Amino acid sequence: MLGTFLDHQWKAFWRSKNKGGTIATQIFIGLVVLYLLAVAIFLGVGMEIFIEQLFPGKDVFIVFNGVILYYFAVDFLMRIQLQDLPTLSVVPYLHLKIPKKKIVNFLNTRALFSAFNLLPLFLFLPFCATAIYSVYDFFTALMYVVSILSLTVFNNYAALYIKRKSIQNLKIVPLVLLLIIALGLMEYFKVFSIAEISNQVFSWVTIYPSAGFGFTLLAISIYVLNARYLRNNLYAEELSKNEEKKTSTDYPFLDRFGEVGTLVALELKLILRNKRSRSVITMSMLFLFYGFLFYKKELLDQDRLETMLFAAIFMTGNSICVYGQFMFGWQSSHFDGLMANKINIRNFIGAKFLLFTLFSTFTTLVACLYGFISWKLLLIQFAAYLYNIGIGTVIVLYFATRNYKSMDLSKGSTFNFQGVGASQWVLGLPYFLSPYVILLPFSLSGFPYWGFVALGGSGLAAFLTREFWLSFIVNEFHKRKHKITEGFREKS
Amino acid sequence: MILEISKLQKTYGNRTVVNITDLQINAGETVGIVGNNGAGKTTFFRMLLDLIRPDQGEILSKGEQVVNDNRWKDYTASYLDEGYLIDYLTSEEYFVFIGSLHKMSVAHVMDYLQQFEEFFNGEILGKGKYIRDFSKGNQNKVGIAAALMQAPELLVLDEPFANLDPTTQIRLKTLIKSLKQERNMTTLISSHDLNHVTDVCDRIILMEKGLIIKDLRTNENTLKELEEYFSG
Repeated sequence: MLGTFLDHQWKAFWRSKNKGGTIATQIFIGLVVLYLLAVAIFLGVGMEIFIEQLFPGKDVFIVFNGVILYYFAVDFLMRIQLQDLPTLSVVPYLHLKIPKKKIVNFLNTRALFSAFNLLPLFLFLPFCATAIYSVYDFFTALMYVVSILSLTVFNNYAALYIKRKSIQNLKIVPLVLLLIIALGLMEYFKVFSIAEISNQVFSWVTIYPSAGFGFTLLAISIYVLNARYLRNNLYAEELSKNEEKKTSTDYPFLDRFGEVGTLVALELKLILRNKRSRSVITMSMLFLFYGFLFYKKELLDQDRLETMLFAAIFMTGNSICVYGQFMFGWQSSHFDGLMANKINIRNFIGAKFLLFTLFSTFTTLVACLYGFISWKLLLIQFAAYLYNIGIGTVIVLYFATRNYKSMDLSKGSTFNFQGVGASQWVLGLPYFLSPYVILLPFSLSGFPYWGFVALGGSGLAAFLTREFWLSFIVNEFHKRKHKITEGFREKS
Repeated sequence: MILEISKLQKTYGNRTVVNITDLQINAGETVGIVGNNGAGKTTFFRMLLDLIRPDQGEILSKGEQVVNDNRWKDYTASYLDEGYLIDYLTSEEYFVFIGSLHKMSVAHVMDYLQQFEEFFNGEILGKGKYIRDFSKGNQNKVGIAAALMQAPELLVLDEPFANLDPTTQIRLKTLIKSLKQERNMTTLISSHDLNHVTDVCDRIILMEKGLIIKDLRTNENTLKELEEYFSG
């Protein structure tokens, strides 16, 4: 029976309509997966050398032991965010003559097929097989493997359990989030350290290898908990949505913009009430941490500001380009209605401009916190902000009038290539290259600051002439309106 | 005359889906369009609403081109399918949004919806659900009510009776008839239900493979005539 179920899933995967569409997309996904696996294996095999390089003078085993629980803590967070619940796939079987127990077993087995469960094996097992085996003995190495496998399984089912619980009871989400933030802060302020705990726990395993079975016990208990919960709640409607009462909302501050404001309010609701758009926006909030990677003190002191341009553009404008690249596909499910109703297209496009401006202003304000590192960053980001709202919006909307792919908003956004067409692939080039075209002549001739003034100035000029660009986009839209509506009617 | 259609053609590949040489619809008429699947009814409606570009020919609404002009939107309301509904809104939010496009205030919209209380049968308002969580029939009701709320001179409905419960079907027919009396509203309805169309429409157009093959004034023999055609 389990074999039949898995066979159906296999077919569902290969025959799914939105598997990626174009060959280019599929090759890209394949390459990304291969790359990630290669990196994991590379890290795993070379772990000993890396640790020596990164932490010279420290004991390799202490570092390794410290990393394990740390990895699984981060892994758990990622799973909560990204891992899919394989629940709805059982709906067609619920009414058939199949015992519930088998369906639950299937759901639990199905949940194991996830890249999250593969990654730790590649990362940690090579080290166990080589370093630990050679320093300790075979049994210790084996117990390390058992512990890591158990932790993987534990994380897998714990994340699913919490996600399932949160479907029925929304209050659990803020609770879990608060807990995680509290733990993170305690770690940050050195109240306690996950690395230290991890180190102690695994030193214990090296002394008493059988202690590793403790993790196995944990994994088994969460598995049982999850299975029992599923068996008691195996009703399609209970598994898929909560019964919370939905209320109407409005955004009074948008009223002053008239019809444009109404349309922006409509889109804000779209973003907040659909899974895919919500996760795109959450993601763009996470991108705000990019600065910590790109903003470097040395580079700032040497005035090599052009190296930070990409990060600045991306942080202040990612909500524009990441959300905007799918435009107007977000509204594909009701595009016919929008077109047949009495909506002025100029207002429709104007609403997109306003929405982007609001987004970008918000992220820029948050990104201003980087000003604590250096005032120069404020200058860079402000120039980037003006570029984004002036020129970036026009680029994105120009490509939007060439996007004919409908979107399914009910799925998450990670690794979701449904609705991706040619325009998304091309969009990034002009968006991120044109600021360099403006900046480089200045920075190469030794006037980086004038470069940023020029960049901000061009953005501001485009912003002030927005009416012109609006007419331009409206014109482009009218040329292809029928092609867009037709494309959106085809559910890919 | 509210609609004038001449030499209208739409082809997909080598299949002509709609081919209407000449069709005129007078103000105040209730016109039913019948035909089997693939007759071109929905494609015709979509061209009428500028959702599909015709390959040839033109559609004049009150003497003005439908393509490249928006004035027809002032007096035309339509509901073709769920592709009209903004499914992440509550039904109230949807009505308010559609109302705002016609400069109706929230209070005005809510007031207007009172009239539909009977039509809604307590299933639509104050349910605390997004439209996507409604049943098909109730989604249909939302779409039709939103179209009627715009107080249109021209109403276009694609298979409005499908998915509706019998009570609502009858109420919808009464509503269309009374609006025709009160406001001289023109209505275009497509349907597979011959009883309903002959009951509510005073003119019936029969389409087959994109062509209009019959254009009848409804009388007591019409139902029989149509039944003969479809069983033959």
